[in-house]
Amino acid sequence: MNHVRIGLVVPSSNVTVETEMPAILNRHPQASFSFHSSRMRMAKVSPEQLAAMNAQRERCILELGDASPDVILYACLVALMSVGPGEHQRVEGLVAEQLATGGAEARVRSSAGSLIEGLQALSARRIALVTPYMRPLAEKVVAYLEAEGFEVADWRALEVEDNRDVGCIPGDRVMEAARNLDLTGVDALVISACVQMPSLPLVEAAEQELGVPVLSAATAGAYSILRAAGLPVDIPGAGSLLRADSLQPAI
Amino acid sequence: MSPLSDQHLVRGVDHAAFPTFDPAGTVRFYRDTLGFPVVHSICAAGWGPDDHPDFIHFFFDIGNDDRIAFFYYFGLPAPQVSKGDVYAQFGDETPEWFVRSRHLAIHVDSEDHLLEYRRRLDASQWPVEMQIQHETIESIYTHDPNGYMVEITRALRPVTPQEDLDANLTIDALVDIAQRPGAGMDELLVRKAELIIERAETWQEHQRALVEDTRSDQVAGPEGPVAR
Amino acid sequence: MTHRLFMLDVPENTPIAAVARDAPGVEVDKLGPYFVIASEDPVTIDRRATGARHAVWYSCVGGLDGCRIAQWDKDALRLERR
Repeated sequence: MNHVRIGLVVPSSNVTVETEMPAILNRHPQASFSFHSSRMRMAKVSPEQLAAMNAQRERCILELGDASPDVILYACLVALMSVGPGEHQRVEGLVAEQLATGGAEARVRSSAGSLIEGLQALSARRIALVTPYMRPLAEKVVAYLEAEGFEVADWRALEVEDNRDVGCIPGDRVMEAARNLDLTGVDALVISACVQMPSLPLVEAAEQELGVPVLSAATAGAYSILRAAGLPVDIPGAGSLLRADSLQPAI
Repeated sequence: MSPLSDQHLVRGVDHAAFPTFDPAGTVRFYRDTLGFPVVHSICAAGWGPDDHPDFIHFFFDIGNDDRIAFFYYFGLPAPQVSKGDVYAQFGDETPEWFVRSRHLAIHVDSEDHLLEYRRRLDASQWPVEMQIQHETIESIYTHDPNGYMVEITRALRPVTPQEDLDANLTIDALVDIAQRPGAGMDELLVRKAELIIERAETWQEHQRALVEDTRSDQVAGPEGPVAR
Repeated sequence: MTHRLFMLDVPENTPIAAVARDAPGVEVDKLGPYFVIASEDPVTIDRRATGARHAVWYSCVGGLDGCRIAQWDKDALRLERR
């Protein structure tokens, strides 16, 4: 059985990505995974704290590089998207250069880039979003996705600024926000555009209830990690994105 | 055949990299004295199969988006250098001209600009060691804190087409005679004379034809005469 | 004319060719972009008369046909029959 080491760069107050990512990937039929995190100090999801957090990236990569991971995920979506269009390519490039300079062979992904990759894998063009962010940051996330060529038909910002509180947002509240979105003509729903807002149990249920493909920052991250590791994408119960290799293509 | 196969595609120096054991002096020399901005840095460790220390790879802009880069390895002991630099050491018997033959030359556009760098260096702990007019260039030289020789140079006049021809004849002659045992300058000049006799006149006619083509283009071009 | 020295026609070399032209028995002609300094007898060019800088002086010879360099120093360039 394949073993894959995943390096996670996480905001220090994040508790969800280290819960949901193993929960998803440990259902994989062909590989086992271990998770190794390095933390960037961040408590409040404000532009200032996000910038200060990004400055810690290089240290985190140094720490993770020592563990010889196969794939590294920069697991804070808003930290990159709030900087402006193209930031995930820039940061992934810098991390890849840092790793390559030291002779590491890890692949590099970010939750910002993974969400785009996941939406593209679903052939989504018109999308809807639920985010936990304060409105100005949520607007930056919407603008970032629009710059990537998606049409954001409708979105909600739950306006929770303290990142510890984001980790405790009840699933009911997220579902309620999703139900209130106008999903007319939408190709995919991002039920959580944040790896800290818990949503994994909602993804499959929302897809059944709302009748559109549903993904989250976490399921998109898992999708991207599997692709980076060259593994089949075939995980049950977490939305159609993660069954990409077992679903028959629509004719 | 690829449409690129006969093209000269490269675009100058991305970066030239050197080790340093004196990062503070290196920053004082390149950034604070010469005024070359720091444009990039990487903190990394030796994650590959080789065992090597943590290191910093840092870059200075040398103009034109070209860069000079350094590696600083934490804890790596500096070599003893009596002749040469921190990368290459030589015995005392090695002549100075040989040691200096490997160096980095950075271009400036004018005498004023050359003299400005002379001023910056002379006011620092790395003053200009030589200022020399070569055939068609003028240069200043010093050694950086690592012992690397750095040249800053300007063109006294543009290179002419016949100099490109001459350079090619020299190198063709060199390639022809270099394998001959004991071949020296005399063999080169004799072989080059043969190549000059063979090619110089044809080249001149070809140049003249090119110039005339350009002129007739100017007269008969679709846009009409370029100049009156 | 059995001695021929080829010298690239660039501005720095022009004074050297001019000094050679004044030497007895020497003819200076052109072949493509080269001066051809030709003579039956040994030729001496005085460096000081040319005013050439060090770097120019020591890079002015482009090719030798029928002759060899007998002297090339800070004083003169002298060519002899090979």
